[in-house]
Amino acid sequence: MSNYIPVIGLEIHSELLTKSKVFCTCSAEFGGDRNSRCCPVCTGLPGTLPVINQTAVEYAVKAGYALNCSINKFSVFDRKNYFYPDLPKAYQISQLNLPLCINGSVPIEYEENGEKKTKNIRINRIHLEEDAGKLVHDDLNGVSLADYNRCGIPLIEIVTEPDISSAEEARSLVEKIALLLQYAGVSDCKMEQGSIRCDVNVSIMRPEDKEFGTRAEIKNLNSLKSIYRTIEYEIKRQSRLLDRGERVVQETRRYDDNKGETKTMRSKEDAHDYKYFPDPDILQVNFTDEDLERIKNSLPEMPYERLDKYVNKYGLSEVDAKIIVNTKKISDLYEAALEVYNNPKSVANFILGELMRRINLGEISLDNLPFTPAELGRLVEMSDTEKISKNDAKKVFRIMSEQGGDPEKIAAAEGMLISNDSGKAAEMIDEVLANNAKAVEQYKSGDVKVFGFLMGQCTKALKGVATPKVIKEELEKKLNS
Amino acid sequence: MDYTSKIGMDMKGVKIALPKEFYADGIDEDVRNAVLKAADEFKAMGAELVDCSMPSLKYAVASYYLISSAEASSNLSRFDGIKYGHRSEIGENFNELITNSRSEGFGDEVKRRILLGNYALCSGYYDAYYGKAMALKQKIREEYAQIFENCDIILTPTAPTVAYGVNENISDPAKMYQADICTVTVNIASLPAISTPCGYDSKGMPIGMSIIGKMWDEATIIGAADAYEKNFAYVKANI
Repeated sequence: MSNYIPVIGLEIHSELLTKSKVFCTCSAEFGGDRNSRCCPVCTGLPGTLPVINQTAVEYAVKAGYALNCSINKFSVFDRKNYFYPDLPKAYQISQLNLPLCINGSVPIEYEENGEKKTKNIRINRIHLEEDAGKLVHDDLNGVSLADYNRCGIPLIEIVTEPDISSAEEARSLVEKIALLLQYAGVSDCKMEQGSIRCDVNVSIMRPEDKEFGTRAEIKNLNSLKSIYRTIEYEIKRQSRLLDRGERVVQETRRYDDNKGETKTMRSKEDAHDYKYFPDPDILQVNFTDEDLERIKNSLPEMPYERLDKYVNKYGLSEVDAKIIVNTKKISDLYEAALEVYNNPKSVANFILGELMRRINLGEISLDNLPFTPAELGRLVEMSDTEKISKNDAKKVFRIMSEQGGDPEKIAAAEGMLISNDSGKAAEMIDEVLANNAKAVEQYKSGDVKVFGFLMGQCTKALKGVATPKVIKEELEKKLNS
Repeated sequence: MDYTSKIGMDMKGVKIALPKEFYADGIDEDVRNAVLKAADEFKAMGAELVDCSMPSLKYAVASYYLISSAEASSNLSRFDGIKYGHRSEIGENFNELITNSRSEGFGDEVKRRILLGNYALCSGYYDAYYGKAMALKQKIREEYAQIFENCDIILTPTAPTVAYGVNENISDPAKMYQADICTVTVNIASLPAISTPCGYDSKGMPIGMSIIGKMWDEATIIGAADAYEKNFAYVKANI
């Protein structure tokens, strides 16, 4: 196969986390009984008038800021006209010429031949639109039924420039955008629930070519794996065509997950003419500088800000900081645990060690932790302040992971608490020494090896009263006095 | 907003614009005379008549029918037989079902407007038709804005002729569309207007006049129409 340069652009659709739909007051929550979350507006009953959800507009703008975009102060909604049974109005309200956000960029990090690389991917635009419904095919009865619950759920479409050169870059871009949208609080980006979906445009060119090759668009990919495999497949398919002296046809293709290949869906000649025009029902958006300033300021702490804080303020290594930051739920847990016990290094170590271990083992899930961040913070504090031993802290955490609960109560119930009562400790050591007078004699006559035996006796007797460190100090003091 | 706040208003000093294109060729003489007579009655009440011009009126019907048909073609798309509208008995797949449902369910005038609207919006024709119509919409708005800079209301005929007979123009849709010339511009420019009878032609058919107001100024056009109507002698139509 000759050497070709792949040129790839993505269109990423992400559902926004608003409570209600984008043009009516129906719940925008995922799921629900079929057709239980729709109304005359989102099902396009003749005579209804859609009214735009201001929160959806603000979330789209927030997404724009999260992806370093410029915001259009004046923005227009358009109708995209096409017939499909899951679209009851037979047009989708979307944006064509004046989208909310333009000209962004997203930095990505990825590995190529074992080497770490970074790159900026430019974002062409982000626009706000409504989702369509879903068709449910009942093969048994030979019918297709429409579920309109998803109609009118707010979506943003993020369109990149064709700056992507490999499947790996595409995957890390989607991951990065999902992370930024999660931190911005505008989308949960759950691929498995379809809250983030992707169309991929792939073409290839020879290094000496001045113009891009003909592209194929592969629609509706809903996992990182399928995005990766689609791109790999397309690059190979197109390379083989060019190698044989054939041409790539401009067309829309569909990815078959079972076979791991793409197939023609419709050719350029069959491409839809969507007859876009400004929607006369929807007011144009006019932002003032103050509006935009307020929305920008409402953006929560972003991942790069947390990374900077963890490394430069908390003193974590960059590797550790990235592991925490790259999963928002872990980072949020970390932040909340620090509210209770402000020892960033120690809490980070516990999260990266014990917590990650149990997550990786599949014993606990971040979606459904049986303990609170505060309880985790208090456990680390108990361990650090020697209220329990390091080993016992791990045992307590195991119990918290299995059934939840307050670490202090668990430690107390298990008899793991150390009282650190120095008066009582001294008294008890005296008692141990009195019961082992012979060994004490041996030590004092120069047989220092016997210290280990005495230390062992004291540790046993003083369990739950003092830490080994305190016992050792006290014992040395007494024997050497 | 209280639409009734100017009922009983004094017409003294109210400036009424008469754009000359609304009184030119193509407007029946009986209609023109009746509306101009009404203007004189306003003048007698103390109003001031102002001559003015709306050069883009000649494009108004074309741009109105492009815009409204484009919107209608999209608005009517939902009658595809899936969730709304007549559903055909014939069709092996959804494309056939939708096509047959719409072909069977719509009448000629609706189909005409859907075709016209789709044509105006098609890529390749958009700029020449819908795009131009939208530019004219902007132009008409500007011309109205200019007139309202030194006038309070505008007086025009409501239709160029009195009502024509049932089925009279049915075979000539362009002629029927042209009959809307006096009323389409307010829709294009988003202005309020009120129509009220102002006389009868030689055969006793009623003639209407339109009073057009500034944006959000419904109160003044209702007040002016009321002032005129108080002295108007209604005649029961002799049909």
